Amino acid sequence: MTDSKKRYLQVPQGTEGVHVEEAYRHRRITQELLDQFVLWGYLPVETPVFDFYDIYEPLLHSTSRDVYRLIDREGDLLMLRSDITLFLAKQMGLWLREEELPARVCYGDTILRHQNVEDISKNEFFQIGAELIGKAGEPADLELLMLLSEIFSKLGLHPAVHLGSHQFLTTCLTELSDTELNRAVTFIRDRRDDSLRELLESKLSSRKTEVLTTLFSFIGTPREFERTVYSLGGELSQLELEELEYLSSLAEQLVELGFSPDLRIDLSEIGAQPYYTGIVFQAYLPGLDDAIASGGRYDKLLERFGFECPSVGFSMLLRKIEDLVDSSIGRLPKITKVEGAAFKEAFHRAQELRKKGEVAIL
Amino acid sequence: MSSRNATTAHNTDTAAVQEGPLTLALPKGRLFDQVQDFFLKKGLHFKFESRKLVAHDESGLLKIFLVKNADLPTYVHHGIAGLGICGEDVLFEEGKRFFRLRKFDFGSTSMCLAAKKGYTAPKKSRSLTVATKFPKFTLDYFHRRGHPIELIKLNGSVELAPILGLAPYIVDLVETGSTLKANNLEVVEVLQTIVVQLIANPSYYKLNYRRINQLLDMLNSHSKEERE
Repeated sequence: MTDSKKRYLQVPQGTEGVHVEEAYRHRRITQELLDQFVLWGYLPVETPVFDFYDIYEPLLHSTSRDVYRLIDREGDLLMLRSDITLFLAKQMGLWLREEELPARVCYGDTILRHQNVEDISKNEFFQIGAELIGKAGEPADLELLMLLSEIFSKLGLHPAVHLGSHQFLTTCLTELSDTELNRAVTFIRDRRDDSLRELLESKLSSRKTEVLTTLFSFIGTPREFERTVYSLGGELSQLELEELEYLSSLAEQLVELGFSPDLRIDLSEIGAQPYYTGIVFQAYLPGLDDAIASGGRYDKLLERFGFECPSVGFSMLLRKIEDLVDSSIGRLPKITKVEGAAFKEAFHRAQELRKKGEVAIL
Repeated sequence: MSSRNATTAHNTDTAAVQEGPLTLALPKGRLFDQVQDFFLKKGLHFKFESRKLVAHDESGLLKIFLVKNADLPTYVHHGIAGLGICGEDVLFEEGKRFFRLRKFDFGSTSMCLAAKKGYTAPKKSRSLTVATKFPKFTLDYFHRRGHPIELIKLNGSVELAPILGLAPYIVDLVETGSTLKANNLEVVEVLQTIVVQLIANPSYYKLNYRRINQLLDMLNSHSKEERE
């Protein structure tokens, strides 16, 4: 290879080209999921590739360093689409009218994020998901989770879905300052039970500290969760208990409805993003180093864009799981090469095959 | 819908759970023998055959990889090993997110600021020139305290830096202090105690929490020998 060719073929970190069979499969899987969303009444929306940076900045937190920023000709700071949920929230704020609620939308598009050259584990270039906007409460949470279950069934995947509650966190830790709450969130998410216990002990009674530490480290089946709540319930306030009972009720109904993934109640699932307000969930598959889907309720997110209404949604990073998806989806069709004839004759024979839905080349 | 989705398994750890032993990465070097002794006391016996880097414990609970200390977080981050045991010093440098499931009593060291004997504590108003193998920890520590520093990254034998005049200060792990003493250096300030931790890849933990919790129970239990 010549030096100039080598130079032209260099690929910047964080970009990806997908070719032929792989690209075909990617598109078919995407289409399969979008078709499924439409069957449930979730219609597609397209978000802009870039937008003003400053309006999203407060929502980015630690991910702000991964965002590609650019300056337009007027000198405004822009960012490339790094998370469709955020861009979608603004679009909905611009587009939705009160009378159109509830709105069901879906998306599947590329995202652009900086990726550390030494860390290829977060190859995340394509995000697909759905949102139910303007509907609060159990029916909406159930609908969204059952849609997620249906999507996994379509893909032939059987993950574990861990369901938690951001609302329980904010209900039971009201005595903590903002800084302390942020520390508690880190300790809970990273399962640092000793550090959490130490922090809570400084604010709460030792019994309450023990109960909350046990609950935040809990992972188990819905039945195990019920037993745990039953045994510790006496130590909880009415509001705290209601939040946990809501999770139990949700889980029970999901099981009755035929929720296909393994369902676990996991109170350490409190959401990486501060905009979560209710249920939070993540899906995990063996062999993958990170969650494959995540979502939850964010009733305050659209408010930031001038449109006050509840919302629940999920998104998944499709590229990472495509190799695990049922191989019957997106299999390249057989290609027939029409040979041994004059072009005109071959062309007509190929057309005949194409009419029958077969792939023909000349 | 494929047949495997037709059945649900809500009360059992089935399809989403990885089969086989739990995978654990251990660091080569000073920590290894201490980990091996500790595990033996808890009834988990393993040994590596000569030059082999993979071993199983006798109960079949664990598959253990022996890796370079600084590479250990990388293996766990990518889920190659679901669990790992290492000092907080390498976790600081990697900066990746792990579950920190347990601290160990053994292997603790201190991250220290050291200088030639006779040096006084640095003045906060002046920029500090520091040579270290731990640039992320050092930058983070001093920046959080509003102390400007100039950093020189070294890969080893950091004690040479003050002696040869590369930097007046070093930040390094100090276990007994004998290396510092031998090079006529002394600790100016202990910056942080560095503890050995059991870490887990978050996704791996979520899928194998039952068995990992069983392992934690074993590690937390007191053996007959310890009770006596």
